[in-house]
Parts: sequence; structure tokens; C-alpha cells
Amino acid sequence: MNHSNLNLLIGLAMGLNLLALGTSRLPALIRAMSVQGVILGVMPILMERPDWRVLLVAVATIGGKGLLIPGLLRRAMRTVQIDRELEPLIGFVPSLLLGAGGTIAALALTHLLPLLPEHAGSLLVPGALATVLTGFILLIGRTKAISQVCGYLILENGIYLFGLLLIKAMPLLVEAGVLLDLTVGVFILGIIVDRIQRAFDSLDTRKLTALHE
Amino acid sequence: MNSILDLILRLDCWLLLAPLLPGIINKVKAWVAGRRGPPVLQLYYDLARLWQKRVVLSTLASPAFVVLPAVTWVAVLGAAMLMPLGPLGAGLTFRGDALLLLYLLALARFGTAWAAMETGSAFEGMGTVREVSYAVLAEAAMIAAVLSLSVQSGSISLAVMLGPALGASAVLLAAGLFIVLLAENCRVPFDDPNTHLELTMIHEAMILDHSGPPLAAILHGAAMKLLLFTVLLVQAVLPMGQLKPWAAAVVLAGGVLGVTVAVGLVESLLARFAFRRVPLLLTTAFLLCLFALLVAWKGGLS
Amino acid sequence: MTGLLLGSALFLLGLALAVGAWWSRLWLGLTLAAAVAAVAAAVAVFAAGAGWEWRSDFLLGGEALHLRLDGVSGLFVVLAAVVGGAGAVYSREYWSDQRYPASAPRGRVWWSALMLSMLLVVTASNGLHFLMAWEAFAICGYFLITLEAKKPAVRAAGWLYLAASHAGTVCLFAFFAALAAKTGGWELGPVAGDASLAPLLWLALAGFAMKAGIFPLHIWLPSAHANAPSHVSAIMSGVAIKMGVYGIVRFSGWLPLPVAAGWVVIGLGGASALLGIAFALAQNDFKRLLAYCSVENIGIIMIGVGGALLARSHGDAPWGRLALAGALLHVWNHGAFKALLFFAAGSVLHATGTREMSRLGGLWRRMPWTAGLFALGAVAVAGLPPLNGFVSEWLIYLGLFDAVAGKQASAWAAMPAAILLAMAGALALATFAKAGAMMFLGAARTKPAANGHECGGWMRGPMLALAGVCLGLALAPVLVWPALASAASAWHPVSSGSLSDCGKGDDEGRRAGCPRPSGPGSQPDAVVGLASREANSTGPAACLTKDAVPLATLGWVQLGFAVLITAAATLLWRKVRANPLRRGPTWDCGYAAPTARMQYSSGSFAGLAAGWFSWVLQPARTLRRPRGYFPAAAIRLERVPETMLERVLQPAAARVMQVSTAVRRLQHGRLSA
Repeated sequence: MNHSNLNLLIGLAMGLNLLALGTSRLPALIRAMSVQGVILGVMPILMERPDWRVLLVAVATIGGKGLLIPGLLRRAMRTVQIDRELEPLIGFVPSLLLGAGGTIAALALTHLLPLLPEHAGSLLVPGALATVLTGFILLIGRTKAISQVCGYLILENGIYLFGLLLIKAMPLLVEAGVLLDLTVGVFILGIIVDRIQRAFDSLDTRKLTALHE
Repeated sequence: MNSILDLILRLDCWLLLAPLLPGIINKVKAWVAGRRGPPVLQLYYDLARLWQKRVVLSTLASPAFVVLPAVTWVAVLGAAMLMPLGPLGAGLTFRGDALLLLYLLALARFGTAWAAMETGSAFEGMGTVREVSYAVLAEAAMIAAVLSLSVQSGSISLAVMLGPALGASAVLLAAGLFIVLLAENCRVPFDDPNTHLELTMIHEAMILDHSGPPLAAILHGAAMKLLLFTVLLVQAVLPMGQLKPWAAAVVLAGGVLGVTVAVGLVESLLARFAFRRVPLLLTTAFLLCLFALLVAWKGGLS
Repeated sequence: MTGLLLGSALFLLGLALAVGAWWSRLWLGLTLAAAVAAVAAAVAVFAAGAGWEWRSDFLLGGEALHLRLDGVSGLFVVLAAVVGGAGAVYSREYWSDQRYPASAPRGRVWWSALMLSMLLVVTASNGLHFLMAWEAFAICGYFLITLEAKKPAVRAAGWLYLAASHAGTVCLFAFFAALAAKTGGWELGPVAGDASLAPLLWLALAGFAMKAGIFPLHIWLPSAHANAPSHVSAIMSGVAIKMGVYGIVRFSGWLPLPVAAGWVVIGLGGASALLGIAFALAQNDFKRLLAYCSVENIGIIMIGVGGALLARSHGDAPWGRLALAGALLHVWNHGAFKALLFFAAGSVLHATGTREMSRLGGLWRRMPWTAGLFALGAVAVAGLPPLNGFVSEWLIYLGLFDAVAGKQASAWAAMPAAILLAMAGALALATFAKAGAMMFLGAARTKPAANGHECGGWMRGPMLALAGVCLGLALAPVLVWPALASAASAWHPVSSGSLSDCGKGDDEGRRAGCPRPSGPGSQPDAVVGLASREANSTGPAACLTKDAVPLATLGWVQLGFAVLITAAATLLWRKVRANPLRRGPTWDCGYAAPTARMQYSSGSFAGLAAGWFSWVLQPARTLRRPRGYFPAAAIRLERVPETMLERVLQPAAARVMQVSTAVRRLQHGRLSA
């Protein structure tokens, strides 16, 4: 297994996490999430022999995470005419420091987990943990629905990374399941965002606490 | 004999080449904006003119106001002597000189800050507050960068730190050090050197009341500091130690030119950040250098 | 020889104590003579490379007197002597008999008592006598702080100091009692063999940390050092809190370490360093600012000590001794420049009568010496070359960098410590740029500032002497290396075998075995025997070779810089004077009507950086905006409380009082039902 190339890609993905945490502009957040998706789509090709099935999954992932879903989100963004996250619940610098701290903790403490020897030198597990943490921070700390959707998608990226550990055992099942999950999730979220915007004339999720007739 | 020649060559490099950099940056900015811009040698003419002029001294300022720019200039020159120049090596090398370099730059900052507060003006106070506060985050980034280089090379001496091969952490370190370069040298997006609005200034506001030879010392010192950071960035990222002396000199010169042009492009294409976003950018630089440190650490272990 | 010098120092101090109330000149002479004798005794110990011990048959409280002066004690003796002597001279004018007829004689007596008890604390080698000297030293501190007992703020500061001091002393009582019970006697000495003694070190750490003013336990420090007379603040900040450092250094050297000790100390040190200077930046009272800055510097010292403890727990790597050497040098450096800063602050207070920085300004014109010496102290405290603060921080950095390069578990503590040290240094630069600018530069903000006068010779002399000490330590640090090496080797006596190899590197040192003194060392009765073996060991000074610690090179470089700076400054001044200088009001980009009130005040200067720390500073704001068409005066006040005291301890104490008052109803005193 070519660890150094893989580690480079995972390192890039972790860097994109931090970019996502630090930016207040929604287009930048969507772009970070989509580039991360593309990087993750490329990884099975590096980890396995390029079978037609593996290639298909990779293309589907790149198409879905890199083109389709970001396109949908950009369209939603244009419709509601919001492109900034102005007052997050967790400020930008604290969320950046939290994400960085979590990444460092993941790197430092991974050796305590019972991993297979072939996974021990790779950054898969720390990268997955860091990405999941980043997704959580975005979900909890942001107030605009689109940012929260991006957070959810980054969370899914992290789970996908975990799934890559099983690629030898269950190569296709994991990918297919995750992709399906993802597509359905984004459709539903797209619908919800549209509904929120129509009902409240704003995508600020704090207003959802005032639900009444 | 050899060491005197070495000293002369080194001083020439730092003293004579430094004012070229702001000129190149201004030319790049002018080219992007479709103008011809001031001549590349403009800062030399400015320094010569300022050196002949009289000083206007505020009634509130003590003689230290006139003298502190000399302290700042000597501090930056001292730091420059410690910085290796590719194949030429450093003027002075000993274990721990990297830390002396960082703290000499801090001494330069203290000198400028004290002189700025001498005037008893609100604008100088504003600039000083911003400069010394943002320096806290920039120092954290610099020490993380020095730690990363030290872990990679196993030494605390600049001549040894800046030699070795390209590590995995080079890209991260390059990004982090570039942001610190922009911050420490008061370039966009931290501070616009061409602005006329005092409320938006950092470094310019601190030198509003200087005139004549002290102002020349300050401008020259600022140019030397820019050259210092550029040389540091190029040597930290590119593997100079493995090339032959002539090749290394050419690569260094090319790298310095490249970074200067990059600074010019950044100045032309980005707007100055609102001050409330500056801590975010500096924290990002710190985290980039910190991750470079961790990658260098892991690289050494595995 | 050493014994004679130390004995005469103690005797002279005792005499000074007796005559202080009546004859001030004689007192001054005796104190200075005692200081010289004490310094000579310490120098004799450093030169000989071996400690001095003295036992007597005289029983004090049932225990035989046992004094010991080795490298570690010697360092603190020199510190106490130099700062004590300088303060004695300073107080002649600052707290003169004319201005303070009642408290000045008392002050002299308590000053001698303080110096005497501090010397006894660092030389006592018996637990009972250590406690007696410690208690005496704390009481003397209280009486010195409350010299101006008429002011309620001073009395409150004194009570807080006394309460905190005794809280620490209770921990120390527990520590010494437990130690005596476990080792079978009150004698103190290296007892490294017995691992069950390790948990006692936590008690010692708690007690000494209270005195040293390490972050969560520093609550008494700001008010005590701000409200005390300036020469008392100088000796308290410069020497008294170092007694806590002495305790930690001494007992961590003699007792076995719990595994987490290094981590805890380095963590507390890093937190103290960063948070201490953040608090200092936010202060408006310059003496409180200096007090919080002491918390920061104690944090820096603890980072060094923590590094040493960490190295010992991880195989006794040489970088630990390097960090310890840096910490001990910082003890000296901080004593010198903090005393200088407090003396300058005292001069400003003496001249203007106010401690509020936002009421001062422009004092350089009427107080040029004070301004210049404060600027020197400011450069030193910010750790800038070419002054002494940089040298000790550089040594600590070298130790931390070596720890990181070792790539052991200890590197995870060294990395954040180095980053925190750098941030604390940058904040210190901001703090002292603010303090100097508010006090001395610009225009006078109020009347008292406009009428300042320069201090007299008796106050200027000690300041110049301390500035000279700072310059000496900065430009020739290699001269004090024997003292530091002697202290580092006396700190943790090890059998000579394992250390002579340590120059070859980490692995060799570790393979040669962890420090475990064989033979008679494990029994406390044979302490004397071990002391004489100390003298024969090729101490770890051998590890700290010239290549590993190029202190001589640094000294020459600093000297070179000082010369270059002076030359460049002179040349620039000459060039500027060649064309006649034109004087005018501050141009300020053409601003038409500047006033003194427009200058940045201390709150606004600190506003940016202190805002980043508002989660710990918790500033209390009072704001009254102008209202209506003819607004009355608007007020904006911001005060930074002592967070640990006012936001944590006082509410907790109030809660305890509430609960106990409720419970008191059970005890109504009626005997019948």
C-alpha cells in the first residue's frame, strides 16, 4: 500500500477541514467540501487495483460529491441570496483552534486504538476522526442552514474515510451504501432548506425555535 | 583577508540590494494595474534625498525619538548578519542563533513602538497598539516555524536548519511563513503601504512624525527586514544545501525575486482585511506552521 | 572561610536589627556590610565547587542547628543580599524619617529581620528550623507591606497576603511533618532512594507555589505588591517570591519525583507566563502591572524548572540541567530588573503621587534619569537583546528545543511551553511599551504629571547599581556560569558514574542508569557523607560544554550589539544635528488641534490584546452614554478584577459562609429543649 501518496491526500483533506472551519464565506465552504469529496473519491483508485467497479465508484463519488451536490447547494445559495456566515455560535478563531486541537489529538492518540498493522502507519484513522470532528463543529457552531448542510457532508466524508479501512473486505458495499445515504440526505436537506426559506423568509436556524401558527 | 571580503560582500548584499525589493513590488503592482509606475530604483533616490534633509522634531518628543531609528536599524542589520545567504553562509553562527534573530526583530519593533509613542499623538498610538498586538500571534507562528525547522534538521543553528532537503512539511511551512512575511512587513492583507487613511494604518501610522535621516534609517530597515524574511522563506523551503555554490546563489536570487513578485501580486489582487479578521489569518499562519512541525516530527519518527 | 563570612553576615544583620530603630546611618552601613559578606560567602561556595555545612550542639526546639550553604542556596543568598542592600539605600530617601517619622524606623527593623529570616530559610537544613525561619519571613513581609497602615487598601492587601501565606504554610507544615515521620527525623537532605516519599512533593509544591505566586495561587500578589511601599515591593517581587522557587527547586532535587511532577510544573509555568502577562497588560495601575509581570516571570522560571523535572523523569537528559540553569539565571535577572523597575515606579510615585498610568505622561522631561532607567528595565523584562532577560530566556529555549529534538514523550510538554514562552515575550513587549509610553512619553495628561521632579541621589544610586548588574549579566554572562553550574550540580546529587558519560548524548546517559545514589545516600543520617561525595563528583557541569551552551559567544555578540547600537545612535544624532533641528508641534498628518487627552490611554492601548483574553480577564464595565440634547458627562470605566480571587474564590467563600450560617442555627446555645 502506497502510504506516502495516500497520506499526502489525507493531509490535504485535513487542511481543507481547517479551511472550512475558518472561512465565513459560503462559496469557499462549499468549494472546500467539494474538493475534499473529489480527493476522497480518488483514494480507492490508489488503494486498490483499478478494477472497473472501483473506477465506477470513484467516478460516481467525484461526480456526486464534487459536482452534483455542490451545484445543488450553490443553487440554493443563489435562491436565498445568502453568501456569508456572519454570527456563528462558535466564533471563527475558536472553531479553528478547536478543529486544530482535535486534529492534533487525533494524530497523537491514534496509536492507542487497536488498529491492524497495515493501517498503523497511515493517516486514515486520524484523518477520519479529524474530519468527523470538523463536521460536528460546523453542524453545532454555525447558524445558517447551508453551513450546517456542509457540515453534515463533511461529517459524511469522515465516515467515508473510516469506511476506506474496510476496502479490502467489503469494497463496493461500503461505497455504494454511503453514496446512497448521501444523495438521499442531500435531497431531503435541499427540500427542507427551501421550505425554511419559504416559511420564514430567512435561513437563520435560530428562528426555528419560534415555530407557531 | 578572506573574512573581510566576506563581510564586505555580505554587507553589500544586505545594504545595497534591500531597497530594490519595494521597488520591484511597486512595479508589479503598477503592471497589474496597467500603469508604468515609479522606477524600480525609487527607494534609493528617496533614501538619498531624505539623508540630506533637516529633521523636524516635535516639542513633545525627547532626543530618543531621533536616536531610536538607529537602534531599530542596527537590530535588523544584526538579524541580517545571522541569516545565512545560501552558499555564503551566515556572518555569525552559533547554537541558538535562530532565537537571537527572532528577538532582534522584536527589539526593532520595540524601538519603533517607543519612538512612535514619543509624539503623544492618537494616530501613532493606534498604529503601535495594532503592531504590538498582532506581533503576539506572529511570534507564535515564527516560533512554531523555527521549531519545525529545528525538528527537521536536529539543530538550533540557522546555518544547519536552512540547509537540508525538502521535507513533507515544506508546503505548509511555505504557506505559513508567507503569511507571516506579509504580516511582519506590513503588506496587504494586513496593512496597505499606500493608504492615506490614518485610521487604517499600522506601520505607516507609527512613522508619521519621522523626517530626514531617521526616516531614511527606518525605510531602509523596513526594506532589509523584507529581504530578511524573503531569504528565510526561500531557504526554509528549497533545498539549498544540496546544490553547488553557483547554483545555490542563482536559486536564492531567483527565489527572492519570485517571492517579491508574489507579494506584489498579492498586494494587487487582494484587499486589506478588516482588522477583526486579522487574528483569524494570523491564527491560520500559526496553525500552518504548527502542522508543519507535526509533519516534520512524524516524518522523523517513521 | 565560608562559615566565617556567612556567620558575620548573619551577625551584622542581627546588629542592624537592633540599631535600626534609632541610628539610620549605622543601620545602612551594617546592612551593606552584611550584604557584602553574604555575597562573598556565596562566591566562596561557587569557587570551591563544594557546599559548606555546619552543625552545632545548640538545640533550638529540640533539634540541633544545622546550616548548609551549597550552590543552590548560594544563588538565593546573592539575590537577597544585592536586592536587600539596594533597597536599604533606596529607602533612605524614599521612606525617609522626615516624611514618615513613625513607620520609617519600624521599616528598617523589619527590613533587617526580613533579610535575616530569608538567609536562614535558604541555609536551614533542618525541617523544624526551616519552618520557623519561613514563618518569621512571612510575618516580616506582612509588617513591611503594611507600613502605611492608615490606608484601608494597604491593610486589606496585608490581610490577604497573610491569609494566603499561612494557607501555604499549612501545606508546608503537613509536608515537613510527613517527611519527618517517614524519614525518622527532622534532618533535611537528599533522600532519593525511597519512592514512597514522592507524593509528599505535591504538598511541598502547593505550599511553595502559594508563596511563589504561580498562576491559580497568585491571588495575593497583585494587591500586596501594588500597595506596599516601592522598596518593599522590590524586595518582595525580587526576592521573597523566589523563596517559593527555592523551596520547589531544593525539594524536587532532594526528594524522588512523582512521574507527573514535570508535566504539572511546566503546565503551571506556561499558564502563569501567558495569563500573568495578559493580566499585566490590562492593568491601569503601574505597580499592579509590575506585580502581574512578576507572575509571568515566575511562570518562565517554572517552565525551566519543569523542564528539569521532566528530564529527570525521562532518563536524566542533559537538557534538563540546561533548562534549570536558565531558570536559575532568570531568578537573578528577574530580581535585578524587577527591583530596578519597582524603584523607578517608586520614583514616579514619589514625584507625582499617583499610580494611575492614565493620569501621567510626559515625565521624561522632568525625570530623565528615571525615564532612561525604566526604559532599560523595560527592554530587560521584555527579554530583548542585548540585555540580561534575553540570556536566561535563551538558555531555557535551548533546553526546550533540545527536548523537542529528543522526540520523546517529554517533547509534547516542551513544544507548547516554547510557544507559550514566545507569546508571553511578545505580550511583555506590548505591556512595557504601554507602561513606558503612558508614564514617560507624550504630553502630561493631568496636573500632577506636569509637576514631576527627578529623584535624588539616594534613590538614583541603587537604580544605577541594579542597571549595572543587568548590564553585567547581559554582556558577560559567562562569568556567572560557574555559579549556575555549581547550583545545577548541587540540585540533584548523583553518583559520578552516570554523569561523566552524559556528554556523549542521551542514550549513553540513560544506559548508564537512572540517578540512584548507591551506598549510604538512602539513609538520612549519612547526609553529610553524601555531601562530601558531592564535592568529589564530576558534576553535570561537564555535560554542559562550551559547544552545547555557547554562552561566551552570546556574551560577545551582545557586547558587540551594545557597542554598535551606541555607535549608530551617536552617528545618527551627529548627522541630525549637522543641519539645525526644527521644533514644532506634533505633525500627526496635519491634525489641527491635538490635546493631551487625545493620546492613547492605558485601557485603550491594552484594548486589542486584552480583548482576546477577556474570557479570563472578565473586565467589569461601567458605561454611561451621553443622552439628550444637553448631555451631562459621559463615563466609561473598565476595571479588570483579580479573576481568581473575585470571580472564583470569593463567590466560593461566600457560598461556604452561607451554608455555615444556615448550619449555625443548629447551635443555638440553649441548653433546655
